[in-house]
Amino acid sequence: MVEPLLEVAGLSVDYLTEAGDVRAVDRVSFTVEAGEFLGIVGESGSGKSTLLFGMTRLLSPPGEVVEGTITFRGRDMVQLGREQLRRIRWREVSVVMQSAMNALNPMKSIGAQLEDTLDAHEKLSAEAVRRRSVEVLELVGIDPVHLRSYPHQLSGGMRQRAMIAMALLFTPQLVVMDEPTSALDVVAQRSLMTKIKDLQRTLGFAVVFVTHDMSVVRRYADRVLVMYAGQIAEAAGTEAIFTSPRHPYTRGLIDAFPSVTGARRELAGIPGSPPDLARLPSGCRFHPRCPEVMPECVGREPELYPVDDAEVRCLLYARHAAEAR
Amino acid sequence: MVGNRKATAGALILLVVVFAAAFPGLIAPDDPQAIIYAQNAGPSSGHLLGTTQLGQDVFSQLVWSTRLTLLVTVIVSAIATFVSMIIGVTAAYVGGVTDRVLTVLTDVFLILPVLPLLILLAAYLSPGITSLVIVLTITSWAFQARQLRSQGLSLRNRDFLVAARARGERAIYIILVEIVPTMTSLLAASFLALAVFEVGFAASLQFLGLGNSSELMWGTMLYNAQQAAALESGNALWALAPGIAVAFLGAGFALANYAFDEIGNPALRPVRRRRGRAPA
Amino acid sequence: MAVADDALLRTVDLTRHFRVGGLFAKQVLHAVDDFSFSIKEREIVALVGESGSGKSTVARLIARVYPPTRGEIYYRNRPIQRLRSRRKLASYRGEVAIVFQDPFSAFNPVHRVSHGVMRNLVLHRPELNRGQRRREAERVFESVGLSPRMLDRFPYEMSGGERQRVGFAQALAVRPKLIVADEPVSMLDVSIRAGVLNMMAGLRDQEGVSLLYITHDLASARYVADRIIVMYAGHMVETGPSEAVLAEPKHPYTQLLLSAVAEARDDAASISADTGEPPRVIDPGEGCRFRWRCPYAIEACSQATPRLRPVGSTHAACHVA
Repeated sequence: MVEPLLEVAGLSVDYLTEAGDVRAVDRVSFTVEAGEFLGIVGESGSGKSTLLFGMTRLLSPPGEVVEGTITFRGRDMVQLGREQLRRIRWREVSVVMQSAMNALNPMKSIGAQLEDTLDAHEKLSAEAVRRRSVEVLELVGIDPVHLRSYPHQLSGGMRQRAMIAMALLFTPQLVVMDEPTSALDVVAQRSLMTKIKDLQRTLGFAVVFVTHDMSVVRRYADRVLVMYAGQIAEAAGTEAIFTSPRHPYTRGLIDAFPSVTGARRELAGIPGSPPDLARLPSGCRFHPRCPEVMPECVGREPELYPVDDAEVRCLLYARHAAEAR
Repeated sequence: MVGNRKATAGALILLVVVFAAAFPGLIAPDDPQAIIYAQNAGPSSGHLLGTTQLGQDVFSQLVWSTRLTLLVTVIVSAIATFVSMIIGVTAAYVGGVTDRVLTVLTDVFLILPVLPLLILLAAYLSPGITSLVIVLTITSWAFQARQLRSQGLSLRNRDFLVAARARGERAIYIILVEIVPTMTSLLAASFLALAVFEVGFAASLQFLGLGNSSELMWGTMLYNAQQAAALESGNALWALAPGIAVAFLGAGFALANYAFDEIGNPALRPVRRRRGRAPA
Repeated sequence: MAVADDALLRTVDLTRHFRVGGLFAKQVLHAVDDFSFSIKEREIVALVGESGSGKSTVARLIARVYPPTRGEIYYRNRPIQRLRSRRKLASYRGEVAIVFQDPFSAFNPVHRVSHGVMRNLVLHRPELNRGQRRREAERVFESVGLSPRMLDRFPYEMSGGERQRVGFAQALAVRPKLIVADEPVSMLDVSIRAGVLNMMAGLRDQEGVSLLYITHDLASARYVADRIIVMYAGHMVETGPSEAVLAEPKHPYTQLLLSAVAEARDDAASISADTGEPPRVIDPGEGCRFRWRCPYAIEACSQATPRLRPVGSTHAACHVA
């Protein structure tokens, strides 16, 4: 069996505050195969962004990885020292952030920033730098004349593409993206996602895509992780999760999206709001909002139970999983 | 905030100064003006800081001067902060021509050459506290006006201000009830920053002769010591003590200001690591 | 387009320009041009557009946050632009209220959430005494699904969804006939949006309030609105009943928007060519402002600005449709 590209096992991330430690990510485990597009979906407080930062060792205090392993191509990234991490960064794993304006230096041209990134990781001649810069810009559909442009001279969509170009400079095996399209208008979003998927097919890198937008995940992801209150609520292939969602939260989330086509139906939403991570409900974290809550949900914390090809953290399936053994 | 050492130190200093201003008699029972002691005496148990050329106890003078010094500093800082707030926020909120006029006004006062102004004013104003307060206020209100205007500008299009306009609130109401209350920590920080400056500036002006040497203030002590050539005649303490007191009070205000940095911007709070978890 | 006489609010050629580029600027940003529409009682009209479309500017013009450069707004057939007296202006504000997008900055952090409601009551319902005001504040909180106990909370103590509901409560306090809601759910979690959208529909049905719903999301527009107006670069490009506009869009921009959000798993060819460039609204000149992105543009498109005309079951501003 081929070894997965990335294997996260039992990862927990805490925020150390004066009032006590708050667990933002609770024993999360998943794998990413080479070339796979994994979507991580969640709302505010789900821990999806923290998971992403924890995974790529980009957390800063007061956030800290407190347990678990992150194995990338056989090496545990939690144990790696700064120098070793630096060598992996960008060459094998790169990150695309949510807002390009926050990540790009407004005082430097795009070309200069691409050059900086290249120089930071490899010794290349000026000619090679220029060639590679032109290459990646063309890859993402930006006219190379923009090597001389400054970020504010580009549109939002183009800036995001520049971010992606930067992420692809060393053709990494894994690109991690944190809501890269949420600041864009729908047409630009669709265009960018199509381009990302295109590049993925041609260059073969895996993508971990963090978002709150189920519809993006539905169109482009191979597998989906649904997160709630720091835990994985459901993990399954995209098709499976949208045609037969099992966790009541997943169902509620899917039902909460109105559609432009098809029959008009009543939107229900999910009453209440995500819990305060410092004051979690007892038992199942979703039980106060769950339309299918049972008496035992208040006292017993569900595990991730395997159900066919999916995993569901819901007591509705506890017996099912036990019977399947 | 208790864990903020700098702010706590500043608060302690201010507390000491306020206490000395409020109850000078408890610390230094001697009459500061009494010319009864040996002249130019060095420090001793009876006279912690020695005596002046006229035979007054320096320590007593220092302690009894605290009250006026502190009062002048606080009053000037308060007035200047208030004026700069009104001008800054009005300029930011009303915008347009008013903004340009007020900004030009602020700039003019910022670049006013202080010394020539002083000389001019000294010719017309009688030396003393009132003149001091007037001069200090005129020359220092402009410092914070720009900063407060910037803050006002950044707030201008915040939705809650647009909402207030959409409700039909008057401009004065918006400025006083919606904008100013959100600026309290900035105003407090401005006040403290200004106070640091005023302590030193007031003393300097008095040292140069704008003060009334019979008024009990640290600056006038410096003036008197200078007039009596205290340093040259070996009475260094008399010349240095007021200066050190000025620095002490200035440091107090400056350190206290650190409290507001953290309140205003939680990102600056140091991360305090703890072992184990707090009880749930 | 026939102007309905029973229209609650009507705009005629509403236009707003901004001077840009610094102190001696000569460039003009055409935020909104010739916006004419009407809304009836008990109706929800959605104004759909992306950034730079001018939809938020329309909201602020109607809420009289600033005056238009040109054009008229008629409320119950009376022009409101001329209103100078504080009393008449206040009376308009008591009929047309605005709710903002950002539940995080729409509240002054220094005041309790009851502040806005109370001020609205003081300014626009002077006939109430203090006790009545308190009771009215409790009533509007309940009508948006909030417990009256929350009146004394501070904004930071409430969630985004709750704060957005407070925004609606503030608007309701003046007993408006029309609420202009500027992207009220965009910043909320998806599972919370449905509740707020349903509440909005409820306001129409139970409180008899009309809503002008500003959004970039076609799907939620379809869900709550009776009619949809699509804007691009400051112009109205298509308008009609919600289902008609979405089932058979006639304007190329509407078609583009629709294909960008449709759920089918295949990618339409026209989409991959369009990268979503922002519209050109600075000194745009005559002609259709969509022509640079339009796959069907003809010569007439750069010569004359198209006007809205009936096309099928909707109205579209296009030379080619």
